[in-house]
Amino acid sequence: METKRHHWIVRVTHWVNVVAIIIMVGSGLRIFNAYPAFARKGEMFCCYPFEHKPIPDWLTFGGWLGGARHWHFAMMWVLVVNGLVYLAFVYLHGEWRDLVPRKGDIRDSWQMVKFYAFKRKDHPRQGKHNALQKTAYFLMPVFGLLLVLTGIAIWKPVQLSWLTALFGGYVWARYWHFVAMVVIVVLSVVHVFMVFAVDPYSLPSMFTGNYDETLSPEARNARPFYHLLPRRARATPPPEVM
Amino acid sequence: MSIDRRKFVTIGGIDRREFLSWGGGLVSAAFLAACDSRGPRAADKLLNYAERKNRGLETALFRHTSMDKVQRGAYEAGNKLPSYFVSPTVPVWDDSVRGKWKLDISGMVDRPMQLTLEELQLMPSVSNRVNHYCVEGWTAVETWTGCPMIEIANLVGASRDAKFVDFQSFDDDYHESWDIESALHRQTVIAYGLDGKMLEPAHGAPARVYSPVKLGYKNTKYLTKIVFMPVMNGGYWSDQGYEWYGGV
Repeated sequence: METKRHHWIVRVTHWVNVVAIIIMVGSGLRIFNAYPAFARKGEMFCCYPFEHKPIPDWLTFGGWLGGARHWHFAMMWVLVVNGLVYLAFVYLHGEWRDLVPRKGDIRDSWQMVKFYAFKRKDHPRQGKHNALQKTAYFLMPVFGLLLVLTGIAIWKPVQLSWLTALFGGYVWARYWHFVAMVVIVVLSVVHVFMVFAVDPYSLPSMFTGNYDETLSPEARNARPFYHLLPRRARATPPPEVM
Repeated sequence: MSIDRRKFVTIGGIDRREFLSWGGGLVSAAFLAACDSRGPRAADKLLNYAERKNRGLETALFRHTSMDKVQRGAYEAGNKLPSYFVSPTVPVWDDSVRGKWKLDISGMVDRPMQLTLEELQLMPSVSNRVNHYCVEGWTAVETWTGCPMIEIANLVGASRDAKFVDFQSFDDDYHESWDIESALHRQTVIAYGLDGKMLEPAHGAPARVYSPVKLGYKNTKYLTKIVFMPVMNGGYWSDQGYEWYGGV
C-alpha cells in the first residue's frame, strides 16, 4: 500500500542539505572557537553566558581556523544553491501548501502536544505532516534565510555595511548568525529523534520516495517510542509454523 | 511448506528498512569520524576553486565608496587591542643598528622614493576612527592617524598597470600583498599614530598599513617597503592557508 511521498528533487536536496548543514555547523563552530565570544574588544556583551568558553573540538570541522574558513566559504554555495532548488521546487510543484502556516495550526499544535503528553488519547487528524512537524519544517528555511543573510553581513561588513547595519552591526549580526545556527541544530536534532522515535517508516521514504500510509503515526496512534510496530501485525494472529 | 510466505515478505520489508537505517547510521558515523580533521584531502582542489571564485565575487563587490562606519556608542579598545607580531620578541627598529628608518616605495612607479618618518608626517594626513576586523571574529575600534595610501601612490606616480601592492616589514619575513583597489581605498592609510599618540612598537611602530577593508592579518605592521607589482606576491598568512584576498 505504498504511495509516492517525496519527489526525487526533495530527496536529493534533503540529503545534500544534511551534508551541507553538518559541514557548515562544524566549520562554523571551528571558526567561532578562534574567538568564542561576541563582545567588541574593550566592551562587554549582554546576551551570551558562555563568553570565552570554546565549543568542544569533537563538534568542530576543518581542523584549524583557515581550513574551517575554506570549508565554510565553499560549502555556503552548496547550501544556498541547494536551498534555492528546494524552495523553487516546493513553490512550483505546489508542495508549499503542506508547509505554510495556516489558521488553526496553533490549536492543532496544542492538540499534538497534549497527545504526546498523554493528555489526549487519539492521534489528532492530520494531512501530510502533523501541526508541530509542519511548523518545524516551515521554520527550517526561515532560519536558513536568516543564517544566510547574517552570514553575508559578517562576511562583508564594510562592502555591504547596510546589511550589517540591518542586523544591528557586526557584533549583533555575528550573534544572530550563531543563534540562528542553534535553532537549526535544535530543529534538526528533534527532527532526527522524532524520525526514529515516532515514524521510523518514513526514513526509507526519504531514499525511495515511497511511504506506506497504513504505517503512519496517525494510523498507529504513535507517540515517541509508543506503538512503533504496525497495528495490523497485532490484529492478525501469528501464522502457524509447521 | 515450512515458511509462511506472507511472513517472509513482511520480514523482508523490515529488513530493507533496517538496511537503510544502518546505511544512514554508517554515513553519520563516517561524518563523526571525519570531525576535527581537516576533511578529505581530495577536497582541497574544490576548496581552492571556491576560494578563487569567491575572490572574483569579492573583487566585483568592492566599491571605493563603501566606507567602514563605527557604530554609535562603541568604545575604543585602547589597551585591549591585542599586540601581535611573528618575531620572537616585539620588533623594535634600532637606528643605531639599522640606520634611520625609511619607508621604501618602489616597483611600477615613476619616482621610486624613500620617505623618512618626518617626511611621511608632512604628507596629507587623516585620522580614521574605524573597526578592526580580525580573522578570528573579534572587532576593535581604534583611531588610526596616517597618510592615505592614494596620496603615496600619487606622490610616486604609481603605474596604471600595477594591479597589486606588496607591504613588507622588518618583523621577520612578514609581508602581505593586496589588490590595488583595496590598497587605494580612501580608508587605507600608512599609519604612524594610534588613538592620538605616536604608534608604539607593540602595534607596529614606526609605521604600518591600516585599513578596515581588509582583515587584520593583511595589515602589515613594522612597515619597511611598499612595492607596486603586476602580479600578486602571496603573504605571510596567505601562504599558510588563510585567504589571500581577506577583504571585508
